[in-house]
Amino acid sequence: MKNNLILGLAIITLLFSCTTDDTADIVINDNSVTNNTGGGGETTKPLVYISGTMSTNLTLSSDNQYILNGPLIMEAGTTLTIPAGMTIKAEATGASVYIAISQGAKIIAEGTADKPIVLTSNASNPVAGNWGGLILLGKAPVNSVTGTQTSTSEIGSLPYGGTDPTDNSGSLKYVRLEYSGGAASGSSENNGFSFYGVGSGTVVDYIESYEGKDDGAEFFGGTVNVSHYVAVNNHDDSIDWTEGFSGSITDAYVVHGPDHDNGIEADGYNTDYSHAAAFWSNPTLTNITIIGNGSADGRATHFRVGTKASLNNLYIQGFSLAFQIDGDAADNPTGAWIADGSLHVTDITFNDVTTVLKDVSTGEAFTESQFIEGVGNGTATDFATWGAGWSRE
Amino acid sequence: MKKFIPLFILFITSLSFSQNTGSIVGKLIDKEYNNEPLAFANVLIKGTTKGTTSDIDGLYGFENLEPGAYTLVFSFVGYETQEVNAQVVAGKVTEINVTMGASAASLDEVVITTTTKRESETALLLEQKKAVEIKQSIGAEELSRKGVSDAAGAIAKISGISKQEGSSNVYVRGLGDRYQNTTLNGLSLPSNNVNKKNIDLNLFSTDVIENVSVAKAYSSKFYGDFSAGNVDVKSKDYTGNGFLELSAGSSFNTNAIDKNFVRSEGTGFFGYYGRYAHNPFAIVLSHGIDPVNAGTPININYGGSAGKSFKFNDGSKLSLFLTGSFANSYEYRRGSAVDYTLTEKKAFDAAEEYEYGTNSTVMGTAQYRINDKNKLKYTSLFINNSSDVVGYFGTDGAGRSRDAQLDTQRGFYQMNAQFDQTQMTINQLEGSHSSGKLDVDWGIGYNLVHSKQPDRKRITLENYQYALDNDPNTNPTFYNNVDYDNQRYFQNITDEEINSRLNLAYNVSDNLKINLGYDGKNKTRDFNNIRYGYQIVDTKYPVTDVSNFDDVFTLDNLRVNQNQTNGIYQIKVFKPIPGLTNVNRPGLPENTYKGVLNVYAGYANAEITAGDKWLFVPGIRFENIEQNISYNVINLGNKGIDTVNTMSNIFLPSLNIKYAINDDQNLRFTASQTVSLPEFKEAAPFVYENVSSSIGGNPDILGATGSNLININNTAYSKIYNIDLKYEWFFSKSELLSVSAFTKQIKDPINLVVGADATGTQRYFRTGDKATIYGIEVELRKNLITSDDDDATLSIGLNGTYMKTEQNLYDQIVGTRFNLSFNKTKDKLQGASPFLLNADIQYAPVFNNYKPSATLVFSYFADRIDALGSGDLGNILEKGVPTLDFVWKNRFFKNKLEANLSAKNLLNPTIKYVREATIGDVVVTSANGKGISNYKRGMNIGLQLKYKF
Repeated sequence: MKNNLILGLAIITLLFSCTTDDTADIVINDNSVTNNTGGGGETTKPLVYISGTMSTNLTLSSDNQYILNGPLIMEAGTTLTIPAGMTIKAEATGASVYIAISQGAKIIAEGTADKPIVLTSNASNPVAGNWGGLILLGKAPVNSVTGTQTSTSEIGSLPYGGTDPTDNSGSLKYVRLEYSGGAASGSSENNGFSFYGVGSGTVVDYIESYEGKDDGAEFFGGTVNVSHYVAVNNHDDSIDWTEGFSGSITDAYVVHGPDHDNGIEADGYNTDYSHAAAFWSNPTLTNITIIGNGSADGRATHFRVGTKASLNNLYIQGFSLAFQIDGDAADNPTGAWIADGSLHVTDITFNDVTTVLKDVSTGEAFTESQFIEGVGNGTATDFATWGAGWSRE
Repeated sequence: MKKFIPLFILFITSLSFSQNTGSIVGKLIDKEYNNEPLAFANVLIKGTTKGTTSDIDGLYGFENLEPGAYTLVFSFVGYETQEVNAQVVAGKVTEINVTMGASAASLDEVVITTTTKRESETALLLEQKKAVEIKQSIGAEELSRKGVSDAAGAIAKISGISKQEGSSNVYVRGLGDRYQNTTLNGLSLPSNNVNKKNIDLNLFSTDVIENVSVAKAYSSKFYGDFSAGNVDVKSKDYTGNGFLELSAGSSFNTNAIDKNFVRSEGTGFFGYYGRYAHNPFAIVLSHGIDPVNAGTPININYGGSAGKSFKFNDGSKLSLFLTGSFANSYEYRRGSAVDYTLTEKKAFDAAEEYEYGTNSTVMGTAQYRINDKNKLKYTSLFINNSSDVVGYFGTDGAGRSRDAQLDTQRGFYQMNAQFDQTQMTINQLEGSHSSGKLDVDWGIGYNLVHSKQPDRKRITLENYQYALDNDPNTNPTFYNNVDYDNQRYFQNITDEEINSRLNLAYNVSDNLKINLGYDGKNKTRDFNNIRYGYQIVDTKYPVTDVSNFDDVFTLDNLRVNQNQTNGIYQIKVFKPIPGLTNVNRPGLPENTYKGVLNVYAGYANAEITAGDKWLFVPGIRFENIEQNISYNVINLGNKGIDTVNTMSNIFLPSLNIKYAINDDQNLRFTASQTVSLPEFKEAAPFVYENVSSSIGGNPDILGATGSNLININNTAYSKIYNIDLKYEWFFSKSELLSVSAFTKQIKDPINLVVGADATGTQRYFRTGDKATIYGIEVELRKNLITSDDDDATLSIGLNGTYMKTEQNLYDQIVGTRFNLSFNKTKDKLQGASPFLLNADIQYAPVFNNYKPSATLVFSYFADRIDALGSGDLGNILEKGVPTLDFVWKNRFFKNKLEANLSAKNLLNPTIKYVREATIGDVVVTSANGKGISNYKRGMNIGLQLKYKF
């Protein structure tokens, strides 16, 4: 049985009452339709609501239809297993509905190109930000703390970071998130995928964030290696990193919708707090395609706060600005890293891009050719091949 | 509440009290010797055995005289003996100054004045001299002389005390809000502000104050939650025969006067808001967000007081006193608003705030003097206080935000219109009774505070520069990173408190007095808030008129159905009502918490006199403290709903020693142990978002245990050790020199610091094992020119404090919810200025019926830490501010008419906060200050008229 509560013709009527301050009374007429759609394979499945803090393993069964209706937090030592082909629907009540895999816990969500795993909104007319997202927290190094210290996640107040670069938070394969990114405020945001100190032992291959209200994937430190990443119509940044992220992203396909911030927004460390561990964000990105809305506006990438990065084989299309660089000569030496080659682009092709590079505030002297070499040599990632079947555009 | 009732049954039996007596003080002048003081003259009360001699300064005094008529006999060898009739009134000081000579003095050489005991500067100084504990008071007389208009200004005139400019924060010896207590008539007072422990003393206008005293050393009669000081506001105590006084005044601020002033829509001139009865969602739908015109920015104030006493046949007397006043104020600030951490996050070089404040006070007291031994007093106080601040940030089109989507380098803009209203009702019943050797003194109180922030409106735009370019084709758009970047916010706090005190004083002998007492209070707080966010669905919608958002957020522009594509916006709520969605529907409160603080205390102390010189007051206090907090807050996942209950039993010993070097000089020593309790808001992990900062609580400060925790002490309070040593020399009736040295050690101190998370939120942590404070304080009051009557014509006052503070910091803290690290092991104490100075000079000549007085008052505090930096963050410093005020008071027609001119903030210094950063000091906005930094307050120039019928 599948109950879809459709708010068909909801009308808000205001009755102006006789109070002196002329504040209206609210009368809500929800002409709601309850749709009991008979037939279809999954409609006969029992409905199971999931949320809460799990201290034992949770293995979802393909015999059930799951609704996520609050924070589902997997504690250390537990594993959340989601079978291939499963669609989990999240109640469309915003930031407080999400899945978090704590340090020491694992998620095993291994779909296939034919049977991807989908986490989506339970709304009948889903929109970005309907629910939170998927949060992984690991023990790989983050540069805001040192040694065995941990930092705390924006959502859920869960610890992350540590000394194990090969930490394993499980496996995500062919997993698509839709309409996530609900946020409480500018500093407490859910993303599609939030990788907090996730280690390189974690497998992340073929994932997508579709119509996320915030970032598609955000990396808070860690060493995780992500391959075959798709970001479509994410309203904030499609790829965002900070706190010393030093993993890799290989084959990423980023498409901006009408609402968007950057294709890539990159910080060297968490400027709200600390750069205690002194190392800088320094990931390797290979085969990255970023497609914007045309050269009239938009910024493809924004490198800030002393991030380093090795960027190889990029294809940027449809932006007024390809690279914005910010920093200063003291705590945030983004410009210095360009000058010494620590932040560098090798092989790139621009298509319909007005301005290639804008140094806004680094206070360093560097040339465009110091930053970028091999203009015209970039080729787009072969999304048509590897994105076929499981992804949504 | 139930626990108090049995206690008051006790009172019906034995009852006594010493405050029901009056006193006579005065000075003898030697007419034969240049009108110098006449020492060692005899003063007798005729028909009694009471007698005394004048001291080296010619001063004499009789304490504890039953009210009534007396005849004093003044004699000195070789001089004419004089008899003077005097009337003693309960609770008052009759001052009789007599000029003695070889021949009889003519009548006009005897000056008799009666003043309310605790208003007179001289009487208060005498009280300070005789006091058992170290305390300082400032009475109505001095307040009026220094042009102080409220209790906050009052205590800032006491040594070692400074006020934070642009806020109500008061520091006692560099220790802030957390380390103080505020009481009204000895009964605890709630705070009017969610962010504060102590009530804003600005709420107590001088009309309702008899005096304000600050006890800086602990004695066992105070609640144990005491470290820097206990501020006691004593409400007006009228027992006269009847009077009526009316006043009216007006002033203006030099910054505000030429501005087109605005305030929030929906609020009134008198600081009221009329929509509390409605669901916030109905308000959001029915009312717009644009600020409205606030009229001409001329401040006005008016008020009246009346008193009347009734005598009954049985000898009892009922005295009624009623006072009411209203005052408003306009302040305009222009400066910058910057959030800089390790990089610039948001910066508005051009920001302005319009603040309209009101304060209405009504207080009534009924004092029933049953007879000489029994007295009851009922005090009822109502205060309505409002602040309406409209802020515009980034008005030059050059606002920067690193999270801007369209342009990080310009055009970021925010508007914030915020109205706060506090309504407080305070009711107290006090009684004092004496019978023979036993004095009983008791009080019960009930306080109710509603503190509300209804309908704060916040708008965020990008490309604001296009609003300034006169090109109709380019316009700003709404910033819509999250649904709450454009929002309406509603917050309600209700505090309720029942409290009681009881003191039994037993005068065993002249040399021993024993006090036994009980204090109890039950305090609860209920907090809730809700936000409605404007989710902009038409994200490219051009804002063609930045002063007209009402036409944007209309019902016609609301996208009612999510499957439609029309409209500009939808309304989002964080916690939907079950069964409803979170779009275009009313919701449930986003955050709630309930706090409970119950304190039950018993104490005992003894006042032991040894010889003429020594007074010892050993004391012990026991407290049972229950602190509970239950919360349901967002963003913490399943850790966001929890309850913490703590119970502490503590013993607090104290010892006060006074050594009278001679009649004029005392040495005092105090050692005590006290505690500091956290506030509800510090323990409840709810986050309040300002325009450029956010602050949240941390339940770990009530203690926590767990195997993973690091540097979390399972304690619900800070233990504090205090030692004070003071020398005081009262070299005439109104002159004083005192020097004190003090030290304190605070265990497990709490600091507000940025936690180790990705949000930049400041939270409360017990940041180290201890903090220590050493300091010295010097105070001087000196008359430079005195009149024939020995009143000061030209006088100066000076007090200064020098302090050294240090606190240890943990390298890391791992808590149940929040973590922290420091890259330093020590720092100064937050809020502690190494140097404070207050000074005043007064000229008060007398010309027959015209009595002017001109006073210049100066105060200064040196730079101090406003917020401690954690992680790699530098500290935020509050830069030192000098303040200079001038007050010229004029009294005519036998003091019936008063015309007072004041010019305040003459130096008009810049108020600013800076973050210490690698690139040097960066001007920032402080969460403890106004929404704007780097601004001048402007001068306030005003005239007030007062007439006493």
